[in-house]
Amino acid sequence: MIENDNANRTQEFMQEQVNKVFEFWSGNLKLPTIGPVYAFSKDFTSFANDFVTLGKVMIELKSNMDSYWSLLGTAYTRAITDTVEQAPTQIAKKEDFEKYRRAAIEAFEESFTDLFTSSEFSEVHGKLLGTQLNLSRVMQSILEKNLKTLNLPTRSEVDEILKDIAELKRDMRDMKRSLEARNDQARIAT
Amino acid sequence: MTKQELQPDQKEDQAGQPMQNQQEKWKKKEPILAEEIQEAYRRFEKARNILHTAGNVGVGETPNEILVEKRAYRLLHYQQRVNRTARTPILVVYALINRSYVLDLQPDKSWIRSLLSQGFDVYLIDWKAPTAADKYVSFDDYVNSHIDDCVETVLQKNKVEKLTLHGYCMGGTMSTMYTALHQDKVRNLAVIAPVIDGQRDFTVIGNLAKNMDVDKMLQVTGNLQSEQLYAFYLTLKPFKQGINKYLNFLQNIDNEQFVDNFLRLEKWLYDTPPIAGETFRQWVSDIYQKNLLVKNEMKLSDKIVDLSMIKVPLLNVIADEDHLVSPECSAPLNDVVSSTDKRLMRFHTGHVGLIASLYSQNNVLPKVGQWLVARSQ
Repeated sequence: MIENDNANRTQEFMQEQVNKVFEFWSGNLKLPTIGPVYAFSKDFTSFANDFVTLGKVMIELKSNMDSYWSLLGTAYTRAITDTVEQAPTQIAKKEDFEKYRRAAIEAFEESFTDLFTSSEFSEVHGKLLGTQLNLSRVMQSILEKNLKTLNLPTRSEVDEILKDIAELKRDMRDMKRSLEARNDQARIAT
Repeated sequence: MTKQELQPDQKEDQAGQPMQNQQEKWKKKEPILAEEIQEAYRRFEKARNILHTAGNVGVGETPNEILVEKRAYRLLHYQQRVNRTARTPILVVYALINRSYVLDLQPDKSWIRSLLSQGFDVYLIDWKAPTAADKYVSFDDYVNSHIDDCVETVLQKNKVEKLTLHGYCMGGTMSTMYTALHQDKVRNLAVIAPVIDGQRDFTVIGNLAKNMDVDKMLQVTGNLQSEQLYAFYLTLKPFKQGINKYLNFLQNIDNEQFVDNFLRLEKWLYDTPPIAGETFRQWVSDIYQKNLLVKNEMKLSDKIVDLSMIKVPLLNVIADEDHLVSPECSAPLNDVVSSTDKRLMRFHTGHVGLIASLYSQNNVLPKVGQWLVARSQ
């Protein structure tokens, strides 16, 4: 318990420091959003923001990764303790080894399944996944800006087109269905 | 052992045959252990050779014809095995996770083959893997476009007005949605382990889904990739399925039937196409996190999926040991529909055991068939 509290406090402290550093650099990068300074610096500001965000996300990722591995470590320790308690103390025969294997599998299965079905793991897993996605998002943003120089449609632009196509297909389907229904009604009426 | 006895071995070692002599020496000292190690090595070698060619193992071998093939699916029609005695055709809706051949994994454990043998006319929707261009394909497309098109095709081919919709897992959920919206085309709804009440799913998947930012996932990764699904699979029975299963495989390496069953199921387990991004977002957000389906608040396009509108005969088959969809998550379907003819069947097996095992052939299918026959004339 005390160890967990200390770990949580350290994590909070780290998060606080990261936010301060992030705010400091964000503040330094504040430039006018109109006029000539904006016109010449908009790309720089955008890139600089991406790199500052990248640093922040990477620190968050490290912190969430630590929480994740800490939970796995606790489950592992519990599994080992249970195995030692349940398995034969001496392995002299082949059957003893078999019993040890069964006890170990049962202990590990129970310990890790309890972990994976716990609300604590669900939260930590959700945070970790979210930070990994944030990292991918920042990297995609940096790449996308660089790829613009090739004068090709960007991923976001293609994405918009895909969304439009999906909606158009649904509209077509609905129109086709309503036309069929009307034709059926007309056929019945005649 | 005397010094004199050791001397000849030492001389041979110097002559260039040290390994062989050491093995011989060891065999004499620890005969049982040496035999065990040799046996284990033989099993490893055999397993390695078997797994090297395992990709060719035959699955989904019941004869069928492809009735319709589109970018999203293939509609299969199975050849009859006996005279058709049931007038109402069955359209099987498979899930969007892994491949549909689990329903026809091998001749003696085939769900499809058993239905054919009981006199049914069987069709199956075999979903194709979505590409990056299918990121915005949603449940609306699967239910109101693809399933509806397949239903129309089957009705026209059999010259009937209604059919039996038969879904497994996520396919059961989609069949339920379809029935709620297009009841006029459905005579019976028979579902196996459908996800209905997301809040009562106590599995690892249900737990992880609660805190997943799926909107961000859709934005960043698009479709849910196979690798992400494999990562989820690793958390399901991690040691029994992840380690013990392979140790059992090694122990039974000389049992041809065991090996054959193992390879087919293993092939299916890791034959995982991606899931369309928007569909996955709705699956997690609407069904698991907001629990909209059981509350009759889920929307497909502009239509509400109201399960209380379902009045057709309902069969809900669930497994007590299901570690992918909790029985508590599937069972509420029988409480929310308005059908007067409804039945909940519980079996003491798991999610896959329910459809692809000898237990299923001997215990589940005869009862399911009996229920369907009585409502298919």
